Amino acid sequence: MCLFQVVVAVAQNKQLAYGFREIPQSLMLNPSEKVTTKFHFGIPFLSQFHLNGGSTGVTVYDIFGNSSVEINTRIANKLSELKNTDFFTATQQLELIQFGWRSKQELYFSGGIYQEFDFIAYFPKDLAELAWYGNKDNINKIYDLGEVSTRADLLTVFHFGANKQLTKKLTVGARAKIYSSMASVNSTSNSGNFTTTLGDGANNIYEHRLTNVDMTVQTSGLASLYDLKNASDITKKMIGRAFLGGNLGVGMDLGFTYDITNKLTATGSILDLGVIFHLKDVETYKATGNYTLNGIELIFPPLDEAGIPYYDDLENEIEKEIIVDTITRSYSNWRPLKVNGAISYSFGKTVSGVDDCDCRSRGSKIDRNQSVGFQVFNIFRPKSPQLAGTVFYYRRFGKLLSAKATYTVDSYSFSNLGLAMVLDLGPINFYVAGDNILNYSNLAKTKSVSLQLGFNIKINQK
Amino acid sequence: MFKITVINQISQLIMKKNLTYILLIPIILLFYACITDTDINQAENITLKPVIELDLIYFTVKANRFYDAVTQNQILTVSDSTEIRFLDDTDVQEALKRVDFYFKFTNSIPRSFIAEFVFVNELNEITYQTQTNVEQGTLGTPIVTEFTEIVEGDAILQLTQANKVIVKVTIPSSDETLEGSLNLQSKATYYVEY
Repeated sequence: MCLFQVVVAVAQNKQLAYGFREIPQSLMLNPSEKVTTKFHFGIPFLSQFHLNGGSTGVTVYDIFGNSSVEINTRIANKLSELKNTDFFTATQQLELIQFGWRSKQELYFSGGIYQEFDFIAYFPKDLAELAWYGNKDNINKIYDLGEVSTRADLLTVFHFGANKQLTKKLTVGARAKIYSSMASVNSTSNSGNFTTTLGDGANNIYEHRLTNVDMTVQTSGLASLYDLKNASDITKKMIGRAFLGGNLGVGMDLGFTYDITNKLTATGSILDLGVIFHLKDVETYKATGNYTLNGIELIFPPLDEAGIPYYDDLENEIEKEIIVDTITRSYSNWRPLKVNGAISYSFGKTVSGVDDCDCRSRGSKIDRNQSVGFQVFNIFRPKSPQLAGTVFYYRRFGKLLSAKATYTVDSYSFSNLGLAMVLDLGPINFYVAGDNILNYSNLAKTKSVSLQLGFNIKINQK
Repeated sequence: MFKITVINQISQLIMKKNLTYILLIPIILLFYACITDTDINQAENITLKPVIELDLIYFTVKANRFYDAVTQNQILTVSDSTEIRFLDDTDVQEALKRVDFYFKFTNSIPRSFIAEFVFVNELNEITYQTQTNVEQGTLGTPIVTEFTEIVEGDAILQLTQANKVIVKVTIPSSDETLEGSLNLQSKATYYVEY
């Protein structure tokens, strides 16, 4: 069973491509990236494919690995280890179009369209335990319904940006984005709890109590799909939404590159500072209230009375106390904001082709064939920021090949080694980047996996 | 022309640095990254076995309910019923493996009782029934009678055909001076596998 079948999705950290300017898509991670090309365009649909999936607390191998321990015991063991801050994530991106060119004013313009799917679900530990064990051995335990936190977005992004070297040391870049959301589900602000306690003797043996329930699921782009019968209708609708027919949003990326000395560089970017306005095809489901269940009280009416509909009464009472509303009011959602930062130190031979006298950048930093540095990445997720730190080594082997190796510490593991390679065969640019490579011999054992690859055409500066 | 240049470049590179193996790494990574020592078919063996405690019915019947003051007749059996619609749900029929019913009677009426629990389907046909004796108590010293009925095996298939329970309480005799009350609290422990 190989890679393409097993990788599911996640984290959005592209530590390998960040700052790797031989890959034109590095502009998408920092709009101020000092690309050396005069012109580039991505081979449509092949210029970037990115897949990332992970879970912080559990691997496929933990559950499905060959073991003498019975699978249900392994699940039970994992259940007690996992915390409600553990999460599962999946991210997939496919670039449809990507292009860029250098203008006479030395501005590098770039733009394109990409499709993205992004998913995160936190582990609702209490509810998982309730489903796995039931409440029998957990009388008095407070089950936290607020642990439910999940979000999924399927969207297309239209973007256009520019960067410019402002001074010898400073290059800045910005990118405007229009989001076209195809479908979105969001349930990130929930609260309430469920308990079973022994009754006080007044009613029944137990009291099953739902307290301060306030659960919300926002959806957009889904309600209208329920009525569509066949797949081709759904596909047609989705394609329409992909090309600005969906719920629209706006956003921007900003970045800078600052050459502190001719060997030391600091860079930073913020990505997807933006919001999507869900105005069309919106359905929000909301449940609020308090309810205590004691079972059904029989009152033994005199024989001539018709049967009392106790069960219907109970259902009606629950519906009255825990109100479930379907709301079609529009809402807006911030995109998950991403922040990158890096310090790099370059050394080794100067890179021929960019030349010892770098005339384009007017005598500023000289490009060398090696560098080392430190990168940080942060994505703001519903419960907390998800941080990652990376140290890297970059090396260029002549004109054809360059490579970057990374060691990353993040929520998933402390042992993530990554490797990226770029081949520049004349104008054809091919890159591939994968992390957690130590686990490629058995992907089942890895908590996260990220893969990125693509083809571009690059015309270099000369 | 371009093709020749590329081939030249590659061969130069290979000759110079013998980097063939480096070029192969990404390809190997892509196509040979596999899952080993792992058997996804084990998923079929995953069974959730929650044990759920849930209140059932409760009531308090006063002693005077067993005597009709107007006609001055004894009422020896009183009954009531309620639907329990979840019980014959198809998913429940498949998943429910065992139910432990627990009934706790607190009797301050100086009479013993027979309490019957009759489970019937939509056609009012009896699919399962059980009964117990409730000990007599006194007004000053109510007596507690506990009764547990464990339903499993074939009996559970009968029980889950029902969607209604009829509760009958029978007193051997009564009169207008009878005082006290009979209280029932009950719960069921559902052993589910799915």
